[in-house]
Order: sequence, then C-alpha cells, then structure tokens
Amino acid sequence: MDKEQLKKELINHIITYLNLSDYTPEEITADMPLFGDAGLELDSIDSLELIVMMEREYGVKLTNPTEGRKILIDVNSMADFIIANKK
Amino acid sequence: MDIYVTGLGCISPLGFNVEENHLQLKTERDGLVKSKYLESKYKSEKFFGEVKMDTSSLLQKVNIPNKKGLTRTDALAFIAFDEAIHHAGLLKKDINDSSTAFISASTVGGMCLTDELYRDSNLHGKNSEYAQSYNCAAHTLRITKEYQLKGFTNTINTACSSSANAIMIGMKLIRTGRAKRAIVGGVDSLAKYTVNGFNALQILTDKKCTPFDVAREGLNLGEAAAYIVLEAEDVCIGKTKYAKILGAGNTNDAYHASAMSETADGVTACILEAIADSKISKEAINYINAHGTGTQNNDQVELTGFHNVFANIPPFSSTKSYTGHTLGAAGSLEAVYSILSIVNNEMYPSLRVTNAIPDCHKMLVMQYTNDIEINTVLSNSYGFGGNCTSLIFSDI
Amino acid sequence: MYVIKTSNISPQNTHNGQFMQQTISYTGNKYSAIEPDYTAMIRPAQLRRMGKCIRMGTGSALPILQDEDKLDGIILGSSEGGLEDCIKFLIQIVDYNEGTLTPTNFVQSTPNALAGNLAIMSKNKSYNTTHVHRGLAFENALLDALLLFDEQKAETLLVGNVDEISEYNFNIETKADQYKKEEISSDELLNSQTSGTVCGEGSSMFLLSSKPTNAVAQIVDVSHICYPQKEEIIAFTNTFLSKNGLIPADIDSVIVGRNGDCKTDFWYDLVCDEMFKTQNLYSFKNLVGEYPTASAFATYFACNLVAGKKAPKASIIHECTVPKTILIYNHFKGEQHGLILVKQSQL
Repeated sequence: MDKEQLKKELINHIITYLNLSDYTPEEITADMPLFGDAGLELDSIDSLELIVMMEREYGVKLTNPTEGRKILIDVNSMADFIIANKK
Repeated sequence: MDIYVTGLGCISPLGFNVEENHLQLKTERDGLVKSKYLESKYKSEKFFGEVKMDTSSLLQKVNIPNKKGLTRTDALAFIAFDEAIHHAGLLKKDINDSSTAFISASTVGGMCLTDELYRDSNLHGKNSEYAQSYNCAAHTLRITKEYQLKGFTNTINTACSSSANAIMIGMKLIRTGRAKRAIVGGVDSLAKYTVNGFNALQILTDKKCTPFDVAREGLNLGEAAAYIVLEAEDVCIGKTKYAKILGAGNTNDAYHASAMSETADGVTACILEAIADSKISKEAINYINAHGTGTQNNDQVELTGFHNVFANIPPFSSTKSYTGHTLGAAGSLEAVYSILSIVNNEMYPSLRVTNAIPDCHKMLVMQYTNDIEINTVLSNSYGFGGNCTSLIFSDI
Repeated sequence: MYVIKTSNISPQNTHNGQFMQQTISYTGNKYSAIEPDYTAMIRPAQLRRMGKCIRMGTGSALPILQDEDKLDGIILGSSEGGLEDCIKFLIQIVDYNEGTLTPTNFVQSTPNALAGNLAIMSKNKSYNTTHVHRGLAFENALLDALLLFDEQKAETLLVGNVDEISEYNFNIETKADQYKKEEISSDELLNSQTSGTVCGEGSSMFLLSSKPTNAVAQIVDVSHICYPQKEEIIAFTNTFLSKNGLIPADIDSVIVGRNGDCKTDFWYDLVCDEMFKTQNLYSFKNLVGEYPTASAFATYFACNLVAGKKAPKASIIHECTVPKTILIYNHFKGEQHGLILVKQSQL
C-alpha cells in the first residue's frame, strides 16, 4: 500500500475511533505527537483504542503494551509499523 | 458509642462459608482456577477466582420458595447474607425492625447473564425471566423483599470499592442514630462482560496473580459475596462480638478514569482520613489488608501511599492472591478476612511472591503468620473512577 | 441541610431557567432531555468520550462546579449509569466474538464514571460516592449527604442524579409493559385509565451547604421504604413527619410522583386522601416522564416553589396557598417509596 495513502486513511480512522470531532483530517499531520501536551493529547485509553483500530482495520496485532509506546508516536510511526507487519 | 461486628457471612472461591474461607487462608491455598462455569472464550485461557459450584446448585442453597429470575449474583448474595444474619443470631423481629439497615453493593449485578441481556435489550423474542434482574440493585431488592426488611436499604456502585463504601455507609447510619443495626457488604459474580472489559484494558494476567511482586503482570477476576452485621453497642449487649469498626476514609484520586496517580494522592488522603475518623494513631495499625490487585499501576501506587502515611509501614498483604479481584464484593470480603485476622491473630500472605517490590521494606507478608497480636487492621479498596475507601477494624 | 444552588437538564427548559414560566407538552412515550450546547463548557477532548448520561450529568453539574472551589464531596444517584455505553460494549463482545475490544465503552458504562469524571474535571479529591439503588438511588444520595453534615464532615457538597433513556433499557421495560402502548399527550397523561407510563430522563444537581447563608431552600430530611403493605405507607409517612416534629397539617404542599399508570398511582391517592386532603398538590412526571431517579427533579421543582416561583400550570393538581413546607412522595413501580421534606429557607 502507498504510504501516503495509508497515512491519510489512518488519520481518518483515528478521528472516527477516538471521536475527535473537533479535528478535521487536514488539521492532523503525520508528525504530530499523539501523546503528551503538544499534539493530540491522547491518553492511555486512547492507545488501547488505537491498537484495536490497527487490528480491525489492518489485521496487525500489537499485544505488548510497552511495544505500543514505540509504535504509537505519530501517524508516521504507525504507518511504518503497519507496512512492516501487514501480511 | 462503639459499633460492633456481630456476624460474618461469605461465599468465595475459598469456600461456601466463613469457616471454609478461614481454613483455606490459614493453609495458604488459593481458589484460582481455569473456569468451569463461566461462558466466555477466556474460561480456559485465564485463571479465575470462581465459586466452585454451578448456578443451579447454588440456587438450591437459597432458602426461598420462588426462585424465578434469580441470577448467580443473587444466589451468592442470598447465601452470604443468610450466613451473616444467622451468625449474628438476628431474630426475625430484628431483621424486620425499621432500625435495621441493609446496605449492599455490586458492579455487575445481573449482567453475569451477558447473553440474556444482549437478547433482551435488542428485542430478540420475549423478555427472559431475568429482564428485571440485570440492575445492580436487583439482588438488594430481592433480599429486601424476601426477608421483609423495613429499614434503610441501599446499593452502592463505586466500582471496586463498592462494598467497602456499603460498610462505611452502614457505620455512619448507626453513628448518627439513623439505624441501630446494619447488614452491610456486597456481591459480584464472574461475567463475560467484565472479563472482556478488563481484558480490553489489558490488565488481566494469564497466570495466577502475584500482588506486590516485581514481575506482576495483572489481576485475576473473581466472584464472591460477603456481608457483615454491624450493631450499635446498646443493641448487642451480651452477644458475641468479633470486632469493632473504628472508622472509614473516602476520597477520590481525581487523576484518571482507570489508573491511579503515581503520587498516590487519593490513596494517601484516604488512609489518613480513615485514621483520623477512627481517632487512633498511625502506629496503632498493625496489619494492612491491601487492595493489591496485582497490576503494575495499583500495587506501586498503593505502596507509595503507605510510605506517604507511615514512617515505618506495618506488615501488609493482598488476599486477592487467594481469591482474585472480586470487584464489588472485594471490600466486604476483605473486611471479613481482616476481622478473621483480628479474631485469630493471623496474617494471610500474598501468595506466590518470589521477588517483592524493593521498597516493600520486607513488610510484605509472604507466609501465614500467627505469632503476633493483631489489634487493628486497615483494609483498602480502590476503584475505577478514582474511588478510594479505607476501613479500620479493631479487636473488641 | 440547605440548597444554595440548583442546576438541571430535563425534558423541560430547565437548562436555561425557563421551565417555571413555560412548560413543553409531549406526545408519545419518550420524553427526551433538552440538552444545552455543551461545547461552551466542556473541552472537545473531554466531550468526545462522553455518552449521553455522562454528558448530561457533566453539563448539569458544571455550572455549579465552576464557581465552587471548595467542595467537600460529590454524591450521585443513578439507577443505570451509562447504559447506552454498557450495551455498546456488550454488542462489541458479541460482534467481535470476545476478540480485541475497545475499552472506552466499558470504562464509561460504570455508574460511578460520572462522579469520577466530575472529580477529575474539578480536581476534587474529597468524598465521592455513587448510589445505584434503582428507584431510591437519589434518596440515598441525599441521605449520604445528611450523614456527612450530621457528622460535621462536610460544609458544602455537590449532590445530584442522572439517568438516561437508552434504547436498550427502553426495549426491556417496554416488553415488561412499563410504558403505554397508546399515544397519549402529556396534558392527558395523569388522567389515563390504562397501565404503563412514559419514559423520561434528566440530571438535577444541587449545591448543598450545612449553613443557611444564601440558601434557596432547606432539605430537612429524607426517608424510604421498600415493598410496604398498603396500611404501612400511612404509618411510615406519619413516623417520618413526627420524627421531624411535624403533623400532616404542617405540610402545606405535596409533590407526588403520579405517572398515569393505573396499576400504581393508587399509592398516591392512598396517602393524599388519608393525610393531605386540603394541601396543594403538584405533579411532575407529566413534564419529565418516569425514571428511577425522577425524585431529583421533584426536589429541584420543590426548591423553586419554596424560593417563591409560581408553579407552572401543568404541574398543578390543586393549589390554594403559597408553598412553604413541601413533602415529596414518590415511588418506583410501587416497590420503592421515598419521602423528601423540603422547606423554605429561613432568611
């Protein structure tokens, strides 16, 4: 899958799964931090939601929560992980 | 005016009554098993603190004529309630007196029937006989009706601290003279609903839980019901008394919906409030029955709370290593265990700990102990939503 | 204890304070709450996770929480909590066959999620409880507050309720014949001769204080009983009054939970015919529908009445004097009966 296309898709999924109704897809950039004070300000429950999203939408499983912290940095890192692990 | 514990009742993974529970505690035998009765695909993947009997056999132990609509939760509640009132020697006139309160707690209620609830709520066919049984208060109301209770009744749901709060409310009703006697506690049964909820939060371990071990991986879910009878001094003259309830603390951590603050704000304030409410010194506490679920977050935060409060932390342990986390029943089940500690001068260990968290300062109880005097026990319960409750019991 | 401030979201225009001047009529058996625009008070990052129950409760509590930095506790009553979230999670369990599920619905579905949420939003680390005793959940929340004030453990408390109409709860109760099958106007509801009632929802919040300064009303006492015999309810009501040093003649107004269900409205007749024949008599469920914690709305209504506001026409069954001492009598399905005594605050 084209990485740019995947990133666009991911941003839309993030908005839907996390119900980020105050964001338009254009407002979320691929290098925007998902967690922490800058960026989307997501929290630990959101990270679990994102793991479910990746499994349901792309069939990639992420079972180790500590591994999750390295993958759920921004949309770029999520896309890299999906491309590397998608069967 | 002192408030005494005059009766105990419980059913748990450790047994069908208080005596059986006590024996298992003393002999360091946990009740954690691969589930036999839970309808969930996780039943054989995870360990559960399951009550070792199927629901229809449990219902046979319930001594009422009409059992229609009774769930597993109801059955557990009836069994423990009945034991507690008999243990306290309450007469029918005591039970029916308007000064006798009944305060219960549950988080699952009749949702142990997850599939039936799914069908009923989505209009699949006619309502099942359980349509009025799902609510958290269903068991309280059923007991109230069958035993013809006429005083204050209540059901509390503050997640995993629910039944500790039921005990606290009962104590306050007696303290303020609004009741003379209170039957207090809670119940929860294993449910596909909660198993999947906790699993989605990734805090269930596949092994038996190891509270306060460095390598702890999460909690086991359990089921239980436990009730204690509290009586004002002037209505239990001459009766056998097992302990006193001294006081309670209730706070909120106000940090996160499903995790506790690293600084242990809620935990610390709660213990301090319980100590102040009990009008004792910190040093008087000689054993803590910890909340100790076995998750990374809970155990570390709870221990931080101990250090915030105590210069020298007293011996502590988590009996959830025996029973798993019985959710809404945990506070009252552990109150029963705390009272057993006092009555028998015993401490029940955190089982299976090989490498205790370093700052436990060797105070984590790792084996059964009966050679020190236990006068005053602190019992902690914490729940999602930041709810914290601590209870303090003492000898009579 | 004293009511300093009230806030309310209901099927009437209570969120903007218009309710006492003008009421809204409904047809059918669902009276849905009129929700304000929450975006003005709740950050989008928080709002995005809230189901209706938490949203309504938060929206109702915030006007009080925002001005109050020294609250000694948050005490709520809710029969069901976020039932909509609960069933959403249940559907996930079935649809994905217990696979990987998203936890938000689960976390939001516990009835104590609202009180926890309010604690986080207001950084309030004090006392926090949630009572779920179905038709007496709000009465028990009030009782909890009384206990804290009695023991002088609190000076100000936020006490309130929330219950939502969820599709699923509505389905179960409809099949259990709790709601009317025919379409009936709310103006006719209380004269209905058929069984069943209409479904409502809402959240009432009260800032309570141990001191009368700036109070709009006083909540003197609360009591309840389950599964009484017919003759018991009179004795129970008398005991409640005499415990508070009153006789029936001291009560000038009664608010009853009459809901148009011919199976259970007789309880109100029983008590009023025997004890309160000449008093003012008001209803409220023709305005907001039936739900387990509806007595919280009645308490809000009573506070407005003793504060000197005129009762809306649709609520008056019988009125002859200015309300100063009000007894709220409400039951849920004829099983759980509660009494709340509200008085004009002494200035």
